[in-house]
Amino acid sequence: MSTVETKTTSVQDAPQKQETHVHAQPSSARKLSTFLSTYVFSKDHKVIGLQFLFSTLLWFLIGGLLALAVRWQVAWPWSDVPVVGKLFAQQGGQMAPEFYTMLFTMHATVMIFLVIIPILAGAFGNFLIPLMIGADDMAFPTLNMLSYWFMWPAFIAFGASFFVEGGAASSGWTSYPTLSTNVNSSPGAGWGQTLWLIGLTFVGVSSMLGSVNYMTTIILMRAPGMTMFRLPMTIWAMFITAVLQAFALPVLTAAGFMQLADRSLGTGFFTPEGNIVNNAIATAGGGQPLLWQHLFWFYSHPAVYIMILPAMGMVSDILTCFARKPLFGYRPMVYSVAGIAGLGFIVWGHHMFMSGMNPALGTTFMVSTMMIALPSAVKTFNWLGTIWAGRIQFTTSMLFALSFVSMFIIGGLSGIFMAATPVDIFIHDTYFIVAHFHYVLFAGTAMGVWAAIYFWFPKMFGRTMNEFWGKVHFFLTFIFLNGTFFTMHILGAVGFPRRLADAYHYETFHHLQPLNAFMTYCAIGMVASQIIFAVNFFWSMFYGPVAGRNPWNSNTLEWTAPSPPGHGNFDFQPIVHRGPYEYSVPGVESDHLMQTDPPNAAATAAAAAAH
Amino acid sequence: MNAPAASIGHESHGHHGPVLQYQPGLPLSRGKLIMWLFLSTEIMFFAALLGSYVVLRFGAAVWPKPHHVHLSEPIGAFNTFVLICSSVTVVLALEAARANKRSLAKSWMLLTLILGSLFLGVKAYEYSSKFDHGIYPWAPRGRIYERPDLYYGSAVRARLSDPAILAKIKELDGRPENELSDAELTGRRRLKQVKDMVNNPDQQAFDLAVVADQIMPLPGEGSDSHDHGGGLNDTFAWLQLPAVIPGGNMWASTYFFLTGFHAVHVIVGLIVFSILLLYELGPAAAGMIENAGLYWHFVDLVWIFLFPLLYLF
Amino acid sequence: MKRLAGLFWSLLFLAVPIFGVITFAVAPAYDIWLPKDVSEHGASVDGLFYFILWLTGGVFVVTEVALFWFIWKYDANNKKSEVKYRHGSHVLEVVWTIVPAAVLLFLAIYQMNTWADIKMRRPNMAPTVEVIGRQFEWRLRYPGRDGVLGTPDDLHLVNDLHLPIDEDILIQLKSMDVLHSFFLPNVRIKQDAVPGMKIPVWFKAREEGVFDIVCAELCGWGHYKMKGRVTFESRESFEKWLEVKYQEQEATQASNAET
Ligand code: HEA
Ligand code: HEA
Ligand code: CUA
Ligand SMILES: [Cu+2]
Repeated sequence: MSTVETKTTSVQDAPQKQETHVHAQPSSARKLSTFLSTYVFSKDHKVIGLQFLFSTLLWFLIGGLLALAVRWQVAWPWSDVPVVGKLFAQQGGQMAPEFYTMLFTMHATVMIFLVIIPILAGAFGNFLIPLMIGADDMAFPTLNMLSYWFMWPAFIAFGASFFVEGGAASSGWTSYPTLSTNVNSSPGAGWGQTLWLIGLTFVGVSSMLGSVNYMTTIILMRAPGMTMFRLPMTIWAMFITAVLQAFALPVLTAAGFMQLADRSLGTGFFTPEGNIVNNAIATAGGGQPLLWQHLFWFYSHPAVYIMILPAMGMVSDILTCFARKPLFGYRPMVYSVAGIAGLGFIVWGHHMFMSGMNPALGTTFMVSTMMIALPSAVKTFNWLGTIWAGRIQFTTSMLFALSFVSMFIIGGLSGIFMAATPVDIFIHDTYFIVAHFHYVLFAGTAMGVWAAIYFWFPKMFGRTMNEFWGKVHFFLTFIFLNGTFFTMHILGAVGFPRRLADAYHYETFHHLQPLNAFMTYCAIGMVASQIIFAVNFFWSMFYGPVAGRNPWNSNTLEWTAPSPPGHGNFDFQPIVHRGPYEYSVPGVESDHLMQTDPPNAAATAAAAAAH
Repeated sequence: MNAPAASIGHESHGHHGPVLQYQPGLPLSRGKLIMWLFLSTEIMFFAALLGSYVVLRFGAAVWPKPHHVHLSEPIGAFNTFVLICSSVTVVLALEAARANKRSLAKSWMLLTLILGSLFLGVKAYEYSSKFDHGIYPWAPRGRIYERPDLYYGSAVRARLSDPAILAKIKELDGRPENELSDAELTGRRRLKQVKDMVNNPDQQAFDLAVVADQIMPLPGEGSDSHDHGGGLNDTFAWLQLPAVIPGGNMWASTYFFLTGFHAVHVIVGLIVFSILLLYELGPAAAGMIENAGLYWHFVDLVWIFLFPLLYLF
Repeated sequence: MKRLAGLFWSLLFLAVPIFGVITFAVAPAYDIWLPKDVSEHGASVDGLFYFILWLTGGVFVVTEVALFWFIWKYDANNKKSEVKYRHGSHVLEVVWTIVPAAVLLFLAIYQMNTWADIKMRRPNMAPTVEVIGRQFEWRLRYPGRDGVLGTPDDLHLVNDLHLPIDEDILIQLKSMDVLHSFFLPNVRIKQDAVPGMKIPVWFKAREEGVFDIVCAELCGWGHYKMKGRVTFESRESFEKWLEVKYQEQEATQASNAET
């Protein structure tokens, strides 16, 4: 991987003042083992965080390319796929329908399990938690290292699944039985599905190891004076996300084992009696297909919040920093994160309104789903309150953070349509849903992730990213993403179904092809714009302007450490005197007061007056 | 400079910052806290399995009674007792280690290990008695049929035309009556009847029900009797004819799945205990013993849920 | 220059609500909108859709415009006034918790009746027809002359559903193999077909016409082509059609018996 190479050169080129004793015994074996323990099997949370970051960015690219292939088929079904067509083409250059099902299944799998979850918790959680709370590392560095290396079997399983007999998993990322459990049901229901389940289990183990470690670290390793209510929102979000992971994930793991047993051993947990697929009668039976859906969504609904809470936390920190203003309503913000997490456990049934679940149960899930919009409303209004009457600086990071708020509103509001059960009858499994979750996941979380990358890049690599090209990247991504995904709402309003390789033979939908073509052009533009980001990212790692300890004049602890921080993070003992958001305190000369700045009489007076 | 301003992570270079101090959090050590958190993930794992069991069981049209599937409550109760004892001994080991009675601690630890192994041994015995009756965790290998239908009939026919079985039957037929017990005599008569019935080309569904009843009669509703009234499979252990147990396959799947995952946890516990036995069990090891003990109590607790759910209801 | 940059970015954010509203406003003109509804209950589903559209549309415009306004007004480069050093407002927090709570609770209660009509208050009658999903077709089974499903005189058809208008229809939905979903866009009906379950689906059609039956749940490689047609017609022509189909079936059965 490219990171590893750049690091090798850095070790050799860097003026090695403090490291002379390494040269005392110049043995190449020793060098190799030093290299391995420093950059490959490192137990340093920052290196592990970066390993997660690079792996997930790579998978992000793969997931994006899979999305393009999906878009190609939706816009121009059965037409020759340019360039890559020859690689996977079954008939000339066009894709087969079963290949299409594999594409969106693996697109979603990659994006969710190999990109969004690990980039939030794995990359940013790892990098930021010890730095922002004033710890020298995670509580259990070895576990932390294992949590990264447990991702590799998953990378391999998901990656390999395209090349096995029958192809990759093809029953959607939701993997509903009996399509997923019955080997006769579709080509991808063979080895591809088994590998999918194996990969999922490893991702689960990785997240579980990470989450218990994060919770322990946050509870026990905060700098003196860092009370729970002086934690930055990022840390609160990471903490509550870890709680969600720890309690929801084991359920999916258990369900995954059951599905694995159904597939490869012959149990019938999810197969009803006398099930006949493809003219073959199933040997096992007596189970319930809906049981899987309950178990799956019991995890995967909390998981959608796992996929947004850390982004919400990071965006809160970035907004306050570039509005030069305290976070509006810190405690309500904390409580609303906790509220989202708590309610998140009792709404899973809203994915199953049409599934054949008891409709009365549907009503209760509808009510709880409506209620979960409340804490989100509180968050949205507090973000608006934060930038109100601030002094806004348009850095790239800030633009991405603002667009997170703007786009999350869209994604959240479309959730209300679906929460309304009678409306969901019509829009369930249509592109309205696809619009909804791309607004929260891509236009929301991924934009938040970009905000975070531009923001913490200087801490990670000691250099800032190019602002001009960053803004170009933002502008193009913003335009194209809305072009791609906003139109999906009206597509959904026609009832255009998702997961269809070709919907134009339906009379109801045949006039929608031009709109889909437009969306595909936008999607191509969106992916192409990322070249700017990739170049900026790598270029800035080596040639960007060197950043000091605190390039954004921010308040939190990580900005007191060197950029990038050395082993052990802090070259002094951090002591915390105040909350993380003391910007523009009246009577204080600087427009920010860091958490470690010594107590200041003017600040104390101002804080008292402001309450 | 064309390299990141400074390189990060100098692990082996010994370049450390100050040793950091922390805000007092919970009055727990890191090890103990992470253990509790880990156990809460484990609780959710078993909660999912138990929840699925409850849903599958109460959603099923029929569910076998414990004795239909050769589940013995006394053995299960005994095993519960063994596991509870082992939870006590591990606590005693901890007490001894804290009091620096190293050899006593070691003995209690060894006893815990033995009790845990005993539990597994009993479990293995229970498993093998299921296997002997053709009850396997998953359907294709097992000899359980859900209903006496044509598939069942042909399975019985196939078994009865197995050369080895044919030879045994021939030998049985050849034995003089006075050598046979009463049960064997009736058994021989019934076996003939069964053979005729499954080989009869215009058999009725009703006939197959009779066949199933001869092979392994299921005690009726409300009957508490634990023996099967001498079905053919009991009389002649070598026969191993397919049996009809409605709901039996799903029962077997859930039973083996739940107890199997529990057994895996027991094995992990035993490995941890074996490793601990290699150490001096003084006050220094108390933390480790305590964590291992916490885990062991959890494993115990899971069994205390499993036992009534699987054996008693 | 810097001031222009601020203006540029704030206008970009203002473009979001503008284009959002325009998209929804012009879509119906291009027929990219709710398809024609021929059912009795559809009006209340659509009504709810419009109600939520107006509600969320309002919230959308207000919040997005506020975002634009703050970005534009408080741009560091043209800002004259002091930053307001505030940690929040208790009153505001209460207000913006209570108001959405009331709105959402109202919405939750308001829709319950519609949902109950469509999915819970099943008409008390024998099934009009049984629909069975199977990779990748809709198998239909009419009760036949005796009016009872599951007897040898049932009428078996594939993908070609006919139903009478202006009377209650009760469909018994099943699946043989994997999940499917019985979706009638023009009747505002969708219900997954689950193997091992019999799920009732009911509605009343108001207009004659031929419409699509869409499979809306992924069911394998041929999911995209699992298409059926539903024909709504008057009771007389429905019965005429049934009779014709019935005779066709008897004819083929007879010829099968001969060979
Ligand atoms: C990060 C991911 C994320 C987030 C945050 C959410 C948030 C929400 N989701 Fe979403 N959802 C998904 C990811 C996410 N979802 C995914 C991936 C799927 C599809 C899975 C699949 O089938 O493949 C899905 C599907 C999905 C469904 C199932 C649809 C179907 O299949 O038929 C439903 C139904 O209720 C739903 C509802 C909601 C609601 C009510 C919220 C709420 O939390 C939103 C709350 C936010 C707001 C409401 C906006 C801000 C609030 C205000 C501005 C205040 C004022 C508002 C009012 C008074 C209305 N979602
Ligand atoms: C986090 C989740 C996520 C993300 C980010 C995306 C991103 C995208 N998705 Fe995805 N999608 C899902 C989750 C996601 N999707 C899910 C859950 C489904 C449902 C699947 C199912 O039905 O089972 C789905 C389904 C889905 C469909 C519906 C298919 C169907 O139902 O038939 C479509 C169609 O247009 C689509 C399109 C896109 C597009 C165009 C993008 C674009 O936004 C992609 C843009 C990609 C990039 C911009 C890549 C950027 C690359 C980098 C930044 C790397 C830079 C590299 C280095 C620095 C090394 N997606
Ligand atoms: Cu049937 Cu999709
Ligand atoms: Cu959800």
